[in-house]
Amino acid sequence: MQATTVRFQPYWITQKLKLDTNIITNNTSVLEISKFRCYISNIAFKKNNVVVWQEPNSYHLIDANDTSSYSIKLNMPATLIFDQIHFNIGIDSTTNVSGAMGGDLDPTKGMYWAWNSGYINFKLEGSSPLCTTHNKRFQYHIGGFSIPFNTLQQVDLPVHHTTNINIAIQLDQMVAQIDLEHQNSIMQPGRAAVEFSKKIAGIFRIKL
Amino acid sequence: MLIVISITIYGFSSIDSLIVIPLGWGKPNYDFTKNPLNKETVALGRKIFYDPILSRDSTISCSSCHLSYTAFTHVDHDLSHGINGKIGTRNAPALMNLAWSKSFMWDGAVNHLDMQALAPISHPAEMGNDIENIVAQLQHSASYPNLFKAAFGDTVINGARILKAIAQFELTLISANSKYDQVMRKEPGVHFSTQEENGLLIFRKSCASCHTEPLFTNQQFANNGLAMDTFLKDIGRMKITQNAQDSLCFKIPTLRNIEYSFPYMHDGRFKKLSDVLKHYTSDIQQSSTLSRQLQQPIILSSDQKVDLVAFLLTLTDKSFLYNPIFAYPQK
Repeated sequence: MQATTVRFQPYWITQKLKLDTNIITNNTSVLEISKFRCYISNIAFKKNNVVVWQEPNSYHLIDANDTSSYSIKLNMPATLIFDQIHFNIGIDSTTNVSGAMGGDLDPTKGMYWAWNSGYINFKLEGSSPLCTTHNKRFQYHIGGFSIPFNTLQQVDLPVHHTTNINIAIQLDQMVAQIDLEHQNSIMQPGRAAVEFSKKIAGIFRIKL
Repeated sequence: MLIVISITIYGFSSIDSLIVIPLGWGKPNYDFTKNPLNKETVALGRKIFYDPILSRDSTISCSSCHLSYTAFTHVDHDLSHGINGKIGTRNAPALMNLAWSKSFMWDGAVNHLDMQALAPISHPAEMGNDIENIVAQLQHSASYPNLFKAAFGDTVINGARILKAIAQFELTLISANSKYDQVMRKEPGVHFSTQEENGLLIFRKSCASCHTEPLFTNQQFANNGLAMDTFLKDIGRMKITQNAQDSLCFKIPTLRNIEYSFPYMHDGRFKKLSDVLKHYTSDIQQSSTLSRQLQQPIILSSDQKVDLVAFLLTLTDKSFLYNPIFAYPQK
């Protein structure tokens, strides 16, 4: 066995994400991100599109409030040969209907909806002058697992055999796809959450 | 001795050592292998259920709106009140036989018994709290860490453990010893009166397709023809599914212990069973989502209504309502 570390690092363009800090965006306006969390689950490695190893009980909360959550240690066979890493962004439907769970899935993590059972897969909050809301806030709580509003996203990225895999989460690319002026809040499962979720997978990229 | 009696009355269960499955009820929906009951955890759940520490200002416990003596509903309240006198929008449902329930809340918003308690805990018009805050409070209490140790093996308190403990207590709330049950089990000396017998036949013809025996609910959601309350404007399950076909649909509740679980309906609008029967026989509102079962009028004579109520009263289970192990835990 060998410990491989997968590190998920949120970025704004080339800068590592800093919460509650002014960010000058492309269009020269100022934006702040106050909260960023997402679930990474079902981490696996593939060779020629076939799964060669998967992490058991694979549920990880990435939380910008706790940068130690960015690094995930995987105990996998040292001899493993793979060319892709696979993971889900969010929590699968079975886990969503399986009752109370501890660890990163504990409902104290602020990633569970009490009034419409289910995990929040991806949470992004902040402020932008483009938002006409109170304190110019935007809040995206993206979740929902029931058809037709399933927001779980699957990601496959090419990787070489290495002990450290760095994955960038390009939040600038997410914000660039959102109409902050007209849609500054998504707080429940539904069509808007599904549309948002489809844009999430693309912001996860291998960082060389 | 108690266990032996239970087995002969109810049948034997291999689902969980602390749960006795009544004969003919089928397998519970709850997966006991993920939360096997033990006496200490049930006791912990019971203590939490009765503890106002769950609410933001320590005034409201689960039992504030779910009283054991009235089948764990909020007797005499159409809508329940939470912290700071705030009033909710729905009638507190009776709690029993929850191991068989497939969804929770009037609109099915909650998909698992473990997670149900999060809803009233976090609702601003109920307990107005959050589970993180409750974890911290229990950690700092004098008694809880040891009770968690007894239940779970160590003093760690987290959201999952709190919820699983509450669920364990709730899972023990089984009501299966009404006169109806005793007659169905052919217990010696227990018989329906002629009225009750007639009532059962009327029930099976006109009510049972939704309020299906033995749970007296088919667990589905339906629009039962109530006019929408113009103040509450509650669209029911559609709020959860965002599907127009679910407009005005609410969970079909069990009728067990209905004698004690008044007032009735999702907003508690009917105080008496006679009001309920009047609704079903003469006040059904037509709409596009009206339950198929109510498309044709239910016609009952006044004698038949009396017989039907007589039968419904046989669903009262006093050994459940007055069971001391479900009541407030005395020190």
